[in-house]
Amino acid sequence: MASPMEQFKIQEGLQLPTVPLPGGLAIDLSLNNSIMAMLIAAGLVIAFFTVATSRTAVVPGRVQLMAEGVFSYIDDMAAGIIGPESRKFFPYVFSMFLFVLSMNMLGLFLAFTATSQLAVTGTLALITFLLVTIVGFARNGISMYKLFVPEGTPWYMLLLVTPIEIISFFLRPVTLALRLFGNMLGGHVALKVFAGFVYSLASLGAVGIVGAILPLAGVVALTSLEFLVAFLQAFVFAVLTCVYLNDVDNLGHHH
Amino acid sequence: MAAEEIPHVPGAVPSALEGAYAGTATAENGGGGGLPQFEVEYWGGQIVWLLLIFFVLYILMSRVFIPRLRRVQDTRAQTIASAVAEARRVQDEADDQAAAARAEIDQARTRARIVAAEAKAKANAEFATRQAEADARIAEEVAAAETRIRGLRDSAMASVGDIAVETAGAMVQRLTGTAVSAADLRAAVKGAA
Amino acid sequence: MEAEAAKYIGAGLATFGMIGAAIGVGTIFGNFLSGATRNPSAAGGQFTNLILGAALTEALGILAFVLGLLILFS
Repeated sequence: MASPMEQFKIQEGLQLPTVPLPGGLAIDLSLNNSIMAMLIAAGLVIAFFTVATSRTAVVPGRVQLMAEGVFSYIDDMAAGIIGPESRKFFPYVFSMFLFVLSMNMLGLFLAFTATSQLAVTGTLALITFLLVTIVGFARNGISMYKLFVPEGTPWYMLLLVTPIEIISFFLRPVTLALRLFGNMLGGHVALKVFAGFVYSLASLGAVGIVGAILPLAGVVALTSLEFLVAFLQAFVFAVLTCVYLNDVDNLGHHH
Repeated sequence: MAAEEIPHVPGAVPSALEGAYAGTATAENGGGGGLPQFEVEYWGGQIVWLLLIFFVLYILMSRVFIPRLRRVQDTRAQTIASAVAEARRVQDEADDQAAAARAEIDQARTRARIVAAEAKAKANAEFATRQAEADARIAEEVAAAETRIRGLRDSAMASVGDIAVETAGAMVQRLTGTAVSAADLRAAVKGAA
Repeated sequence: MEAEAAKYIGAGLATFGMIGAAIGVGTIFGNFLSGATRNPSAAGGQFTNLILGAALTEALGILAFVLGLLILFS
């Protein structure tokens, strides 16, 4: 029986050339299971929206209704957090939500979970962090420093507050990446551990097979919980992206 | 961390039952090991592909799918708004018509009331004049009758004295057998009255 | 003590950090429920805030969990 970590192993597939980088590093562009999972996840999203929006009607069909439901849900969420300017950032938030959700869900259907790879979640978090920083500087210029100096704080408190604010600002991509990574990793490890119990108990004979019912029920329950977590983590990623964007977009005038 | 590891690890070695979890796979892989997620030689490819895939997804979303959905939602909102406006207009029209009808009815009723009042007033006036005429005629007749009655009474009262005198004279003559002069009788009657 | 044994003990200890996150998430959802039963009409509008708070709290627990795995597998 394999280790519960076995499922996160990268398995190489189609070999593609390795691109050398200056500094002795090299990027192996070969397709592997993680990349395939990402491709399939993005492909599913694109296929779904292609079907849903190919013949848009004022009175929607079933697929279009689903697409519009997801669309309105995220749109309302973004508008509630960022305000009237949410439309500018909405495509980013929406594609991020769908991509993460699709990868999470794909992982629950006996495929590979791309979001359980730290490289993937870290990159997604870094894109968000960079976007937030760039938007912040483009919008506020040098007065971006207000982000670290809360209004109405006495100067002696600033000595304490400003370093904390700066640290928490730079910890954002870390927590963003680790939250998604940890949730996916933990959930799938727990699933595999329980599945391992089923296997070990069942190999003990008749009594063991009866006893294996319990962890099997645990696996079923955990799987349903994982579906909730898969949605929730994608939603949380989108919500936090909105919150961070709101911080820099509406700097100085809260709403 | 696991950089020195051979890329083609044939998966974890099947392990004993109690060694299924924890770091046994690590130990069997022979040092280093670590989480498969930290095999950094696969990071570059994943990151590059992720950026590529996400960029394509983002472009498709922002250029194609979201405008389509926005358009259909805006169209729907417009359709609903125009339908609501149309319904409101029709409603207003109906309200106006109802108000006009009501005003007309009110006017007609007022006119009818005026006509009725006029008729009533005319009837009343006619009745009053006729009554007044009748009253006047009756009063005249009454007055005439009263005058006549008064005349009769006066004349009757005037003749009462004569009758009394005559009667007294006759009674006196019958009782005493003597005729009394009219003057005396009159004086006596007057005294008795 | 063997280094291997110390590693397992350390990994187990590291996951104790999840206790705090569990308490925190429990407090968040408990308080949300008690608030929502008092004023159910306002509950729907606070769903995003609820998830946000739970996610921010949970991140620390996940941090401990990942740390535990790191110790275990390094």
